[in-house]
Amino acid sequence: MAKADIKPKSMHYAKKWSDDVENLHRFQQAGYRDEVEYKQVKQVDMVEHWPETGFVKKLQRRDNTFYHYDKQRECEDREVHKVKVYVY
Amino acid sequence: MVVEKAGSSPSKSAGDRCALQQEPLGHVKKSKRQVCDGFTVKAMMKNTVVRGPPLAGAFKERPTKPTAFRKLYERGELPIALEHDTKGNKIAWKVEIENLDYNYYLPLFFDGLCELTFPYEFFARQGIHDMLEHGGNKILPVIPQLIIPIKNALSLRNRQVICITLKVLQHLVVSADMVGEALVPYYRQILPVLNIFKNMNVNSGDGIDYGQQKCENIGDLIEETLEAFERHGGETAYINIKYMIPTYQSCILN
Repeated sequence: MAKADIKPKSMHYAKKWSDDVENLHRFQQAGYRDEVEYKQVKQVDMVEHWPETGFVKKLQRRDNTFYHYDKQRECEDREVHKVKVYVY
Repeated sequence: MVVEKAGSSPSKSAGDRCALQQEPLGHVKKSKRQVCDGFTVKAMMKNTVVRGPPLAGAFKERPTKPTAFRKLYERGELPIALEHDTKGNKIAWKVEIENLDYNYYLPLFFDGLCELTFPYEFFARQGIHDMLEHGGNKILPVIPQLIIPIKNALSLRNRQVICITLKVLQHLVVSADMVGEALVPYYRQILPVLNIFKNMNVNSGDGIDYGQQKCENIGDLIEETLEAFERHGGETAYINIKYMIPTYQSCILN
């Protein structure tokens, strides 16, 4: 339960696309801050990833519906600056 | 000399006669020329113009019929929800795609390709995209059921529907192994419409085709789709495409 207390100390916006930014974009599209919060809220240990690219494959939203993501990059360049990167 | 004169004068008079005959005809042309259909008795008359054949209508759009996809969506029987977010290009699935019955739902979503209006066309397009992306080996056994919806969508001859269907087809052939090969026996159903529209290309000379980036040029899209078919369709793909579309040229053999 110690994990549940973790809160981010600071936040900044992503400048450049990377694999991590891509995954954060996916989490934030589903309505979560990042993987940490997703695991807290949904009480799961594992998030499904695409074996080929390592991107997040499927997320359950807060209303229990599912978002399914593509194998390839989804976060386009014009959206990279909207992705929030939290620092713990 | 006399003979010559005699010979020349009748010819002259004949020429005069022609001129005389033509003048009144020209007069009739302006005033009373009537238009009629070919191969009728009227068409034999001198003062008629035969009308050309009617348009065959190969490019004419066909009317859409209500689809089963729309019916089921309105009844709320599809496991999808519309998500109003900033991007607006995602479907919230009420169940995991892995647990969906592809045999039932994939043909249903393909049926929705005929839709022209929001939200049906969006759900059909995006639903197919998600299902193909996550389908894996569940797609191959359903291929025979997908052919009729694809054929119906293409034969509507609506530009927007054709564009979307072509993009779906491109995604379909790469979605799983052997899907390209499995489509080869169905080329007779799919390709005739592509043959009609294959030359629908913008001849912009040295200008810029601004639709290019969005892949909305039907001629180019068809060319790309056929190339994808050939690349993923195995050995017999080329000859089967060539049979249906004689102007197609191989992208591998040359």
